Amino acid sequence: MEATGVSIWVWVNAFLTLCILSFLYKDNPFFRFAESLFAGMSLGYYIGIVTVQTLQPNLIAPLKQSFTANYNFLLLIPMALGIMLYFRYIARVAWVARIALAVYIGYYVGVLMMQKIHGQVIPQTRDTIMPITTGGIDALWNILVIVGVFSVLIYFYFSIEHKGIVGKLSRVGIWFLMISFGASFGYTIMARISLLMGRFSFLVNNWIRPLISG
Amino acid sequence: MDIDKLLYIDRRIIYLLVAIGALIPIIKPIGLPVVPTDPVQGLFDKVESLGPEDAVVISYDYGPSSEPELNPMSEAILRHCFTRRIRVMIMAIFPLGGVNMAIRQVEKIEAEFPGLVYGDDYVNLGYKDGGQAPMKAMAVSIEEVFPTDVEGTSTDGMPIVEEIRNYDDVALVISLATGIIGEWWADLVNAQFDVPVAVGCTAVSAPKYYAFFRSQQMIAVLGGLRGAAEYEELVKRKYPKIAATYEKPEQKVISATTGMDVQSIIHVIIIAFIVFGNIMFFASKKKGRG
Amino acid sequence: MRRTIPLVLTFVVGMYPVFAFFVPHNVISNMNQRLDTYLVIVAAFALPLGVVNLVGMNLSKIKQKKSGWPYSIVLLAGLAVMAYFGVVGVITGQYTGFHPTFEDLFEHMVSPLQATMFSLLAFYVASAAYRAFRARNVEATILLIAAIVVMLGRIPFGDMLTGGNMTPLSEWLMDKPNAAAQRGIIIGAALGAASMSIRVILGIETTYLGKGE
Repeated sequence: MEATGVSIWVWVNAFLTLCILSFLYKDNPFFRFAESLFAGMSLGYYIGIVTVQTLQPNLIAPLKQSFTANYNFLLLIPMALGIMLYFRYIARVAWVARIALAVYIGYYVGVLMMQKIHGQVIPQTRDTIMPITTGGIDALWNILVIVGVFSVLIYFYFSIEHKGIVGKLSRVGIWFLMISFGASFGYTIMARISLLMGRFSFLVNNWIRPLISG
Repeated sequence: MDIDKLLYIDRRIIYLLVAIGALIPIIKPIGLPVVPTDPVQGLFDKVESLGPEDAVVISYDYGPSSEPELNPMSEAILRHCFTRRIRVMIMAIFPLGGVNMAIRQVEKIEAEFPGLVYGDDYVNLGYKDGGQAPMKAMAVSIEEVFPTDVEGTSTDGMPIVEEIRNYDDVALVISLATGIIGEWWADLVNAQFDVPVAVGCTAVSAPKYYAFFRSQQMIAVLGGLRGAAEYEELVKRKYPKIAATYEKPEQKVISATTGMDVQSIIHVIIIAFIVFGNIMFFASKKKGRG
Repeated sequence: MRRTIPLVLTFVVGMYPVFAFFVPHNVISNMNQRLDTYLVIVAAFALPLGVVNLVGMNLSKIKQKKSGWPYSIVLLAGLAVMAYFGVVGVITGQYTGFHPTFEDLFEHMVSPLQATMFSLLAFYVASAAYRAFRARNVEATILLIAAIVVMLGRIPFGDMLTGGNMTPLSEWLMDKPNAAAQRGIIIGAALGAASMSIRVILGIETTYLGKGE
């Protein structure tokens, strides 16, 4: 069903967009309708993608194809663990969910520990060790970065009182942090404006212009 | 002039000014020039160094909330890779919409390159749960993580999947990311498996990623719409055919370069608000002291 | 036992990726690979965990006719329709990929709803910039100046006003002082996260197991 060259889906899209934008004036039933619809549909979306993109190809299909080839029967282990996660909603057997949670949480904290130390602490520290005696403007900027990193780390070290030399360095750290937060604010504004631009571009180019031109 | 009233203008007036500022360049684009910077040049130079014998993994780690910033990046990068006939494996790790972003983008750009063969020159592997789990597992076997593509077609027998088995066969990973996933590609995949990683991110994440760019954990950072506009500029300068695509009206209205017009006007409005607000603040302080 | 077994499992499963990182033996690597692929499946089950909770809460709201209960009907209807089209293709075997209606619903309803919800932030950030962004002291002034330099540096107007100097200045600010501060934050946060991980693996931190025996 089309109206003046604009499909029904575009009308639905535009209607929902305006429902959300109406919140800028004040909270109203249209906004709350759209908000509830979004919450419900997002969860339904998760169920869909999980089923189609992971459970079907990585679990169901291999088990259906052959139970024994490639040790496919071992896939019953993660399947059991996954189902056990839902036992938390049944009071009498809620403790069973802890076993699945232990595996899930254990794996991710193990991965995260290596990720953080090997992937962040070591490379970032290594790159902070820079030459400062080579002369020229680069050496000056290197000193600036080294001072910045150390002063910020000192600011975040709360186990000793921030007074004397520690207090002064901590203050320098705050200034570096303010520069960073100011930069983040500037970038955040850019990000939010882009989102607004996207929506307005849709309303103007995909809805209003085709409506007017017919 | 009532300074106290001016200090606290009704927020809906501010909203209205922002809305007008956003609408004007959408209705009448200005076309302001954009100058490429080093963090973006890094990705362009890397892709320029690759060819048909190389493979790139592009991970769609964003959803609709980041579409206006990251879609233009994705289009420019895909056009660049396809023009150079670099083999591209597309995937998604972000649960709320990553796979649909990938589907839409691939459908749009593959239509511009009818000579490319799906399953040989490029493939859309779809979404996989688990975040770091599939990222780690791909180091051993991409096919085991993605036994089917996004449409459920078996990847067994697909030339691109047969030949690009794991990270050893991948020349570059490009993550188009919202939130923390871009970081995971750097501190997990680059750190542990030594694969070059470039990240196209929302502007919110960009300040943090400069630290990763400095330490060369990321070879490039494309930050927000400006990053997308810079990359568009670089590919347009090098490839007249791509430049011609961006001149088409339906492409021009959604390009990052056009989006920078909106950014420019609203940034100026907000800076004006900040300056005006501070002038009123100091005036009111002076009035109070008087 | 109900707490001991999970704690032991957390230790074993948590230490394995760390152990495999340092011991590149075939047997260890193969087991690690299997663990990675199995966790993909477990994570798939974990993602919709909140659905059960949310459905229960909203059904209870409808039953008790609490304030806003009609919106709970909207929420549950949206969830049901989306989930139906998400799984029907797989259950009937009609589609191996997404059902076309599932894709349409995402593209024309979920996508604009999410995008517009986030686009509201543009208005709030503009309002906040005017009302709250004051140069009250040295630190606030530094923040303000950095924000303005970056905002001007990211738009073509900035270069037009300053003869091409705004972009290099903004890039210098991002690459030097900003990167230094972010590096300090990254190192600090990473050390904190790593120490929290060790606490969980060693069973010192057990809040994830919940209360009770």
